[in-house]
Amino acid sequence: MNKLNNLPKKKILSLFMTCGFPNLSQSKKIFQEMLSHQPNIIEFGLPFSDPMADGPIIQESSKIALKSKLSTKHSLNLIRSLKKERSNTAFVIMCYLNTIQKFGVKKFTNEIKNIVDGIIIVDLPFEEETSIKKLLDKSNIHLIKLISPMTNKKRSQRLLKDAKGFVYYISATGITGSNKLDYSEINKNVSSLKKQTKTPILVGFGIKSRKDVLAINSKTQADGIIIGSALIKKYFEENMNFKKYLVSLNKFIKQVKI
Amino acid sequence: MKKYNEPNNLGRFGDYGGMYVSETLMPLLIDLDQSYQKIQKDKKFQKELSDLFKNYVGRPSSLHHAKNLSAYINGPKVYFKRDELNHTGAHKINNCLGQILLAKKMGKTRIIAETGAGQHGVATATVCALFGLPCHIYMGSKDIERQKPNVFRMKLLGANIIPVESGSKSLKDAMNEALRDWIKNVRDTFYIIGSTAGPHPYPKMVRDFQSVIGKEAREQFLKVEKKLPDFLIACVGGGSNAMGLFYPFLNDKKVNIIGVEAAGKGPKTNQTAATMTSGTPGILHGSFSYVLQDNDGQIKEAHSISAGLDYPGVGPEHSYLKDIKRAKYYGVTDKEALSAFQLCSKLEGIIPALEPSHALAYLVKTFKNKQKGKTIILNLCGRGDKDLFTAAKAIGFDADE
Ligand SMILES: Cc1ncc(COP(=O)(O)O)c(C=O)c1O
Repeated sequence: MNKLNNLPKKKILSLFMTCGFPNLSQSKKIFQEMLSHQPNIIEFGLPFSDPMADGPIIQESSKIALKSKLSTKHSLNLIRSLKKERSNTAFVIMCYLNTIQKFGVKKFTNEIKNIVDGIIIVDLPFEEETSIKKLLDKSNIHLIKLISPMTNKKRSQRLLKDAKGFVYYISATGITGSNKLDYSEINKNVSSLKKQTKTPILVGFGIKSRKDVLAINSKTQADGIIIGSALIKKYFEENMNFKKYLVSLNKFIKQVKI
Repeated sequence: MKKYNEPNNLGRFGDYGGMYVSETLMPLLIDLDQSYQKIQKDKKFQKELSDLFKNYVGRPSSLHHAKNLSAYINGPKVYFKRDELNHTGAHKINNCLGQILLAKKMGKTRIIAETGAGQHGVATATVCALFGLPCHIYMGSKDIERQKPNVFRMKLLGANIIPVESGSKSLKDAMNEALRDWIKNVRDTFYIIGSTAGPHPYPKMVRDFQSVIGKEAREQFLKVEKKLPDFLIACVGGGSNAMGLFYPFLNDKKVNIIGVEAAGKGPKTNQTAATMTSGTPGILHGSFSYVLQDNDGQIKEAHSISAGLDYPGVGPEHSYLKDIKRAKYYGVTDKEALSAFQLCSKLEGIIPALEPSHALAYLVKTFKNKQKGKTIILNLCGRGDKDLFTAAKAIGFDADE
């Protein structure tokens, strides 16, 4: 059963975290902390050396994870090890294409089958997805579609035709962790997307606080939100003190869970 | 014989190339591709570009018979295609003029670029000054250090230079930052990519703008030698000067094509930039091509004494030409390039950039006392002014005032 097919109707919460950050064993504790809040979705970021769509915070977390000699295999084992604790939380992998390509698409799909419900491949646009999508479909893993403010209606209609799981709406042009959120523009675009698909639409990129979460959920027609950089940033705000970080993470997730 | 007709409309050279970027950039690339197709047929655009080539750049660049070097190697007759005589000192300006005219056509009001050696940065800053557009150049802090003269040039030309501290602090990282800037500023910004790398349509577009080199060389060579050359040689970083020379000869099956990569401290060491000799196919900066990567697909840092070749990727068309064996690629070390740099200066009175010094080194070492009676065109794509301090340091000459 794919857990992304059972998402609630509204106020979906998806939490992103880089795998293996700051190292493998602490990373597991972070994910366990996140899981204890039972978010609807957890996104596992596979660190890549050249994350061109990511801002400084996720870049830094990837760099730290890679410095600890993290491999793709380590990340996949970590995800697998959390399977028993997840209850209703859907697991999604977020990564860059080269990571999967080098691992072998088939082998990768086999490894994550029955563990991971969806995958976001940041640099795999609609135009290039056909062969990978086929393999994922066979394993009942949803290839999550990304839509940006630059995507026009003609294009989004094509993209959304076979959208499954959820749709990732990039709230602003920019990289992960960007600042400005323009609610009326988000609402305008999300409303238009809602007419094109029944798949839930989650808004991500630049959501930082409870205030943002409340605003997106009340002022727009979005079905939920995705938080990433803001979760990781706390680590640096706590001066990389791991114990303090877990406390602060706990507090923050409580705030954004509405 | 099948005529060469790559890439297809999705930007594929065989399996290589494509558009691997986030959804924020996709609509832009599609728009860019369409605009590019339009201006290819636009006579006014093409006339404007060729006027600028002639009167601003100083094209055609000459084809010089390097008699002394030819005598020294005692092998084939060597011609230099002298793109180092271009305004701004390298081939990069050819592409920048093409792209900025296109940016103007598309109504873009802000220009960004990445640079390694600073030659592409200087060329971009130059065309921005000429057309009155604000210019932001991403440059690795390591390159800022080793290419100081070009940093000052860019500043004089009015460009804003943004130092990049991530990764290896060189070309690859500058390109990451430029792409991030573009994702943030999609609406008003045009990204002038400096080589035949990046997502479609860049590899094709940059090749086309640079192919003025090969078109001229072909004509000039035919005129003096009444035949086609036996060999073409060019250095390959991202691959733009090489594609510029090679492209108009791809259907001439008798012409042997050689690309020379920077092998840094040696192709078997970890300090190399010889992507096609030491790398494997993967995805970097939006296209599928050979890259230097580890078993997990993490991109490795490249190393070369020449900042312009210090890149762990290569344009997808070169990967294709390598696989179909239409071109051959070899690596040359820092040390070999450095001695060719000195040899060419002494023998021909031309101080080459460190990038084409790699091509020169390959030429000298491979053709010494061989292939007599044959002919070669070598793309002398840049002059050495920018490298004086790096070279002096490497040779052990105190160049400080
Ligand atoms: C003189 C010169 N040659 C070659 C290169 C490498 O680029 P490409 O392989 O695109 O020609 C550079 C790049 O900065 C350069 O300045």
